[in-house]
Amino acid sequence: MANQEDAKEQELERTTSTTEPRQNAKFAVPVAKGLINTLKHIFRNEPNTIHYPEERRTPYPGYRGEHRLKRDELGREKCTACFLCATACPAFCIEIIAEEAPWDDREKRPRLFNIDMMRCIYCGMCEEACPCDAIELTPVYNIPSLTRAEKIYNKEKLLSL
Amino acid sequence: MPDIKTPTTRWTLNGQEVENTSGMTILEAASEHGVEIPCFCYHPGLSIAGNCRICMVESNRSPKPVISCSERIADGLEIETESEVAVDARNSVMEFQLINHPLDCPVCDKSGECVLQDHSYSHGPDRSRFIEDKNIRHTKELGPTISIWGNRCIVCTRCTRFCDEISGTSELCIVERGDRSVVDVFPGIPIDNQLAGNTVDICPVGALISHDFKFEARVWNMERKDSICGGCSRGCNIEVETLDGFVKRLMPRENQDVNDWWMCDEGRYGWRHLYSDDRVLEARGPSGPLDSSRSITAFIEILDNSPRVAFLIDPFLTCEELHLVHALAASSSDSLVGGWLPEQGAAAEFPAGFKISADKHPNRNGAEQVFGHQVFGEDASHLQRALDDGSIETIVAFCGGPDPDGPGQEWSAALVKASTRILFSVLEGNWLDGAALVFPATAPLEKEGTWVSEDDRLQRTRSCWKPGETPFPGELVLLQSLQSALGTRSRSLSAAGIFRELSEVCAPFAGHNHSDIGSSGLLLSDRPAGVGAGGGA
Repeated sequence: MANQEDAKEQELERTTSTTEPRQNAKFAVPVAKGLINTLKHIFRNEPNTIHYPEERRTPYPGYRGEHRLKRDELGREKCTACFLCATACPAFCIEIIAEEAPWDDREKRPRLFNIDMMRCIYCGMCEEACPCDAIELTPVYNIPSLTRAEKIYNKEKLLSL
Repeated sequence: MPDIKTPTTRWTLNGQEVENTSGMTILEAASEHGVEIPCFCYHPGLSIAGNCRICMVESNRSPKPVISCSERIADGLEIETESEVAVDARNSVMEFQLINHPLDCPVCDKSGECVLQDHSYSHGPDRSRFIEDKNIRHTKELGPTISIWGNRCIVCTRCTRFCDEISGTSELCIVERGDRSVVDVFPGIPIDNQLAGNTVDICPVGALISHDFKFEARVWNMERKDSICGGCSRGCNIEVETLDGFVKRLMPRENQDVNDWWMCDEGRYGWRHLYSDDRVLEARGPSGPLDSSRSITAFIEILDNSPRVAFLIDPFLTCEELHLVHALAASSSDSLVGGWLPEQGAAAEFPAGFKISADKHPNRNGAEQVFGHQVFGEDASHLQRALDDGSIETIVAFCGGPDPDGPGQEWSAALVKASTRILFSVLEGNWLDGAALVFPATAPLEKEGTWVSEDDRLQRTRSCWKPGETPFPGELVLLQSLQSALGTRSRSLSAAGIFRELSEVCAPFAGHNHSDIGSSGLLLSDRPAGVGAGGGA
């Protein structure tokens, strides 16, 4: 019994010990490299921050910001109210009510299309799911508002963006 | 049951020897062994057409694959459902089916419950080799409730067979030939039979669309609840489909003892009054709306100050609610109970045996079991005479029906003779004028409890409300709160608990409980062994 406990203690000491010289030597080179990099940036005269909101950063392509609904070449909304975006949405922030479309080439369109921008997690699943390429996440990222009601975007707002 | 051994057939399914009742088709027999063979035109309630060809399987008795929906099993038959020949046949048929089918799924109301969609997912090609123009077929109204999208039709003829065999009205037919063939009606003869809505249910694709449900909801978003249709005393088994707590459509649920796979249009579309602007949604007294505790206090005040109370029940109340009314009537001495019945409608019977009852209410039998067989007969006329005499000052009347006139002209005129009236109503109407208290009543789809159909079948109906979302306390809750306030009830129970109380005191229900009723109901006489009709379990 005593032997077993001793062996356990030794094992514990071996695995938790940080004083092995070879291990420390391995760390020294990358740490030194990192420090050199830091020192370089201290003396380089280029700030990594910007003076927001006077200056605005251009987002990278594919940035997922505010949503918009697209229009077709005749200026009508492309959306056919298939509910696939609402189905794909993991945050349940899209609310749609369908109605009959007044046009010959299409049967259905949304009567109501609301996105709760406060609930949205900007994952882009709606854009991915849309079979009509009707919804899109734009690179617009600064969308503040003063009331909660303003953060629920309706169809007109989404089409005007 | 006489002990006659049903003849069986031994055959081989996917290399395994299996046994089934002789005379079954391969498709039915395979499904008993858990092997699902895809099908479009086959429906267990209709004759076999064998025209969609998707159910082809490989047989040792035929050089070519055979259709499993019409081939019957035989001794020594060897069937392969997953062999190369069978899978290839299935995939080829699927490719043919999809040649002219439009990619309408995003706007099609069938999407999500579409058989073609499911089979396309499992057997269909991922791209089309068809480079020619697709066929365009007509989109038109076939009747007041149904339209056809011809492009989506795969000509399985389920709907035409339904009209020929089940409703016996034969309005639908297939016109044109080859890939132009499509379902249509004869000029000037729209499809307007009482069972027309079922053709939409059995359509395996979105070709037949009900106007009532068009663009209303996507089927995968809806919640489903097993319930019973309250439209007539047949008690058809239905599925209530709701979206965010609002009923969107009713679908029939299979029950071979009652409604097979079908339901009538009257029941199917008879729920719109649930969301009528005229609904009574809160309790009110002469001076205005009352919250639940004040309404109960007012109710008790009236009961305490009345020497004689009468109750007018309706055949929409569940057995549980009736039991509570019975207990309330029994607790006050010298009370009178009668019942009113809605006007008789038209009864109908269809060639395949589906019936519509003339009694447009769900629970006349249940009320007669709880209150005795004269509750709508002699007891009712006795109550009416007492009202005419003026010997009744206080009456509590129920109306769970869709009629704004409540219990009808005759009863309304009689009720006015009682000076204090406590009325439960679904809809606003003239008969509520001058009432001492008006309570909102639950309509059939909102009730939780049991009904007894005209065949003495005890079935469970479920409320389409989500628990906790009840806009007002239903009769079941309200009557129990009333009893608690009167001191005759120690704690409030669910419908199942009330039913247990009922089965203990009321002989016809003895030995039954909610969990035994199951999804298809049971006959009142089907008691578990050891329980007589005379006493409780």
